[in-house]
Amino acid sequence: MMGDWQVYWLFLQQGIASGLVTGSIYALLAIAIVIIFKTTDAPNFAAGEIFMAGAYIALYLLIFSQIAYVIAVPVTLAITFVFSALFYRIVLRRIGVSPAVAVNVVIATLGLSFVLKGIVRNTGFGDVPRSFPAVFGADTVQIGDAVLTTQDVAVFALALLAMAIFFVFFNYTRTGRAMRAVGMNPRAAALVGIDLHKTRMLIWGLSGLLSALAAILIAPKILMTADMGIVVILGFAAAIVGGFTSLPGAVVGGLIIGIVENLVGLFVSTRAIVVAPFIVIMLVLAIRPQGLFGGPVVIKKV
Amino acid sequence: MLSIRNISASYGRVAALSRVSLDAPAGAIIALLGANGAGKTTTLNCVSRLVNITEGEILFEGRRIDRLSSDEVVRLGIAQVPEGREIFARMSVRENLEIGAHVRRDRHGIAADLERVCGYFPVLRQRFAQDAGTLSGGEQQMLLIARALMARPRLLLLDEPSLGLSPLLVEQIFAIIRQLNQEGLTILVVEQNARLALAVSSYAYILENGEIAFEGPSAELAQNDRVRQAYLGG
Ligand SMILES: Nc1ncnc2c1ncn2[C@@H]1O[C@H](COP(=O)(O)OP(=O)(O)OP(=O)(O)O)[C@@H](O)[C@H]1O
Ligand SMILES: [Mg+2]
Repeated sequence: MMGDWQVYWLFLQQGIASGLVTGSIYALLAIAIVIIFKTTDAPNFAAGEIFMAGAYIALYLLIFSQIAYVIAVPVTLAITFVFSALFYRIVLRRIGVSPAVAVNVVIATLGLSFVLKGIVRNTGFGDVPRSFPAVFGADTVQIGDAVLTTQDVAVFALALLAMAIFFVFFNYTRTGRAMRAVGMNPRAAALVGIDLHKTRMLIWGLSGLLSALAAILIAPKILMTADMGIVVILGFAAAIVGGFTSLPGAVVGGLIIGIVENLVGLFVSTRAIVVAPFIVIMLVLAIRPQGLFGGPVVIKKV
Repeated sequence: MLSIRNISASYGRVAALSRVSLDAPAGAIIALLGANGAGKTTTLNCVSRLVNITEGEILFEGRRIDRLSSDEVVRLGIAQVPEGREIFARMSVRENLEIGAHVRRDRHGIAADLERVCGYFPVLRQRFAQDAGTLSGGEQQMLLIARALMARPRLLLLDEPSLGLSPLLVEQIFAIIRQLNQEGLTILVVEQNARLALAVSSYAYILENGEIAFEGPSAELAQNDRVRQAYLGG
């Protein structure tokens, strides 16, 4: 018979391992949320529906069009990239982007979320819950005492790879540098000759792509419905924990939320999982109001 | 080289400029003076296309630029050193300089210019890896000038380069402004320090409430009684 401490030790390992898997997805979503917030001065309230749409596009290509995975995935990413970029180009660019019109931007993204949900509901895809095919098997891998499926390991590896590519792009390329500049100081960015609209358009595209990737990675683990975008709340939670404007913060926040969720599920009750992220947010904000990686709270002079 | 013709601009209902005309011929240093809120920054921002004009036109080398985007203006060869320390605070000094060359693609030329601008401001090289936000006010001003030079402009717009700097530093910066001009750069400098600006420029304009109140060769303006009273302290 195992002693209590042995069970706890096993739970702890399992919670961390499973938590890293889901947490890596939340981290991707948090990155997608943060890059838009930093450069558009308003949160994207359609993030959940872009995520949901990404999953349905992939599902459509895979199941209904019988397209191979290796083609369906890049095509899905390309579609969400172009779609999100066009949303910026056609809708947001007209509204203009500045703190003064942040409310209008928010309304536009809310509008987009309703449109996307409506489309999925009314085209027959969203009528019944669907399941998304997994590529990798349900064979298990043992890591320490924790057990993960090959699918889980692959999801974690792919999410990490995507984040690594993103960080290299963001920190070491000309376009990535322009994106950081627009987030840091749009006025200065314009003065050095960065095209603000083009840069923001690319950011929206990239954000859509990352959301769709997260959707494809997590879809086999969840039931697909038109409301599956609710998962993105956890991306927002991760972003808040990380300080909402910090990318390393987004990643760490995502992993923390994933791990805490799983630990709560194992140690407390699976019914308590839904409140776990909010407890994390409250704890973090109580200790550090600016989030884990947020800079000092700055009151802008008008 | 730059020709501003009868431009007006406003912020919402507040008129900021009304029918301002100004010329900056190639090779000159032109000064734009005026009190707080006279419209100096607005004038530069109309050229850099951060502010829209409501009438008139702006020509650069004979070509209208008042409908271009801000990045196209930089590409044409106009760089601005803004007031208010508009740096990229959380990028390194080196990255701040490299981003100044954002509109350029000639790697070798950019590397050579990095050397060149550090020649003007050696202190920047010592700070290369530091975040720009950690620089002192004077160093930030130098970084801003160096960043603008990285675009290889033919026309440099300088907005109050002396603001908040020690007299020694002001002198250094103005010496470099002179040197840049001797090397062929056309300069339009906005200043509140009229004495300094009139000394360095060949021709000057004085803005009052969004309108040009005086203009003339700098040496003559410096002798003008009304200008002396209002701007040179008698
Ligand atoms: N963003 C803005 N919104 C509204 N009004 C503005 C804005 N910027 C400037 N103004 C107004 O336009 C007028 C001209 O301002 P501008 O900044 O061009 O003056 P300036 O000559 O550069 O002054 P300073 O010496 O203080 O820099 C002022 O009355 C100012 O209050
Ligand atoms: Mg000014």
